[in-house]
Amino acid sequence: MKSTILMRTLAFILFGSLSLGLPVGAQQASQFNARLPQSYDPGREVTLLGTVVKFETASSLPPIGAHVLLQTSSGQVDLHLGNARVLEANHFELHAGDNVRIIGEELAYGDGSIFAARIVQKGVQAVAVRNTHGAPTSPAATMSPAQKEALRGAR
Amino acid sequence: MKRFLLGLAGAAALWTASCGGGGSVATPPPPVGGFTNASLKGQFAFVTNGEVINTSGTETPLARTGSFIADGNGNITSGVEDVVAPNAAPNLDITITGGTYTINADGRGTLALNVTSGGVSSTINFGIVLTSANNGLLMDETSTSSQASTGSGNFFPQNTTAFTNPVLPTTATYVFDFSGEDVNMAPDSFVGEFTAGNGAITAGFEDVNADFALSNGAIPPGALTADLADTGSLLTFGRGVATIAGESYVFYIVDSTRIRFISTSGGAMFSGDAVIQDNTIPTTASSINSGFAYVVAGSSSVGVGLTRVGRFTANAGNLTNIEVDTNNGGTFTSTTGATIANIVLDPAHLGRGTISISGNGLSIPLTFVFYLSSAKQGVIQETTMSAGIPIAVADGTVAQQSGAPFSASNITGTYAINWSGQSIQNGFTDEEDLAGQVKVSNLNLTGAADIFQFTAGAAQTNVVTSGIIAITGDGTGSPASATRNTMQIKVTSSSSTTVNFVVYFVNPQLAFIANNQGSSRVVAGVLKAQQTP
Repeated sequence: MKSTILMRTLAFILFGSLSLGLPVGAQQASQFNARLPQSYDPGREVTLLGTVVKFETASSLPPIGAHVLLQTSSGQVDLHLGNARVLEANHFELHAGDNVRIIGEELAYGDGSIFAARIVQKGVQAVAVRNTHGAPTSPAATMSPAQKEALRGAR
Repeated sequence: MKRFLLGLAGAAALWTASCGGGGSVATPPPPVGGFTNASLKGQFAFVTNGEVINTSGTETPLARTGSFIADGNGNITSGVEDVVAPNAAPNLDITITGGTYTINADGRGTLALNVTSGGVSSTINFGIVLTSANNGLLMDETSTSSQASTGSGNFFPQNTTAFTNPVLPTTATYVFDFSGEDVNMAPDSFVGEFTAGNGAITAGFEDVNADFALSNGAIPPGALTADLADTGSLLTFGRGVATIAGESYVFYIVDSTRIRFISTSGGAMFSGDAVIQDNTIPTTASSINSGFAYVVAGSSSVGVGLTRVGRFTANAGNLTNIEVDTNNGGTFTSTTGATIANIVLDPAHLGRGTISISGNGLSIPLTFVFYLSSAKQGVIQETTMSAGIPIAVADGTVAQQSGAPFSASNITGTYAINWSGQSIQNGFTDEEDLAGQVKVSNLNLTGAADIFQFTAGAAQTNVVTSGIIAITGDGTGSPASATRNTMQIKVTSSSSTTVNFVVYFVNPQLAFIANNQGSSRVVAGVLKAQQTP
């Protein structure tokens, strides 16, 4: 068996998306939502605008990874932001009260659903936390050529 | 944060923060068994897949493949390795100038390889667990002032008589599973088969999942040759270069039945083994009548780690007694009793087939493609679609179950244990690897392990490892009222943590394991019996 056993994920490409108002809220449903696909399709992306209620780099809620609880005009929404290391590597911080813009989509997940964020924007800074197929981006994507070269010499 | 500089202090802090309990540091009893330094003697081909963190504090995936020579007396006399990270230039043909190792009586030990790369000399460190007198599991535990790296892998003894030029003088078909990340750091999986001999790949077929896009097709002609930059490494270390499906690789010959590959072109990081296909491959699905266990791991479309482990019974093309256990980013789903399931063989490509499972408890049909290297085992790739798009990039192993019923009477003795994946560590999600050895008696486990939660920057070594296995029914899901086989592992140092698993036995010597607890961990691995000298 491949010893990494979990093949890694990642990559990011900023991509145009459908900008809507403030849908969702449904991802907190407790029943499996048969209308939602389990796959990520950039053609279904929407944009959320809201205020950060809580940000956790590693939430106790699944999926494993960073979550932000966002207050939108439609209610509070739990968003999955992928690997918090990506935000850290981009020097991107989220705090309660921050106004943010999120591009992503709602996916069937477990017995309910989850809103998978692809792009997180605060002010003029936007960070891609997923690629257009839903795979989380890597903090290594921020490495400079010099940093990569340094890595070669050390390993 | 330069986490690798925190060293052991950081590791201790993490352990206390993330685990329950507290107090003095627990130490396992002195190891017992028949292993010694003499147990590791000869030439070995090794692989690891994991992560590295550099002086900027940024992590990146990392794969190693190489060869080392152990003298049976605690010394590494020479070797070579190739190291690849995605979206970065590969670091090829790194000389292993020497090193040391220790093997304890229980088969656990350490391996230190001295390497020179880019004019910089350093040492890479591994924890190892021998599973027999000549092969085993290893875990990257490097933590120095210049880098920290982790990852799980294994090593096999190399048969130097198979180091020939031309490469592979006898033509044969090989089944492969290569996976990793492409130049855009997106997950890719390649499973397939190719025919090779006299240094040439003449034909083949593969199934590809490239960043959630499926395709398949013929493999164009390729080659396996000496590396013109180091022609001597072919006959010395079994190392050469290959072109497969347009991708460049370095390979290491284990023997005529197994070759290890690591990609070197285009900033991709793919690695895996090709295993010879024997003459027992069934040609009709109706001739497959046995139980099989399987495990796949990778990334789900939700953007998190995914493991899927389970078993089924094949009977004249239909599948029964199906169990599917999925951990999708910390959400565990256990499914039993799919009502529509079948296995179909591809008449055009010997050993290739597909599996479809749907019905009770499954919201969408689960589908897989596989390539058998024998009637008993093969590689498998998930192809499940939702709304026309794959829901995962994941692959792994399928293996025939034998030796049931599984019980305390045959699941006994000493076993190596290894898992790898992701866990929540100190407020972040990061790689976690564990390699250890346990004695199983009356389904109770006692032993020791090394665990590397990468956020700590250093492995916790020699932690007390204990637990219990619970087997229901005959251990293969029969009778229908049987529930899952489970295993609870507790690792204890100054504090402790407990990880719960589902367990699927391939036979009394091997089991696939995947954790089934809450949202803090997604790991999978193996329990493998030791053959004590």
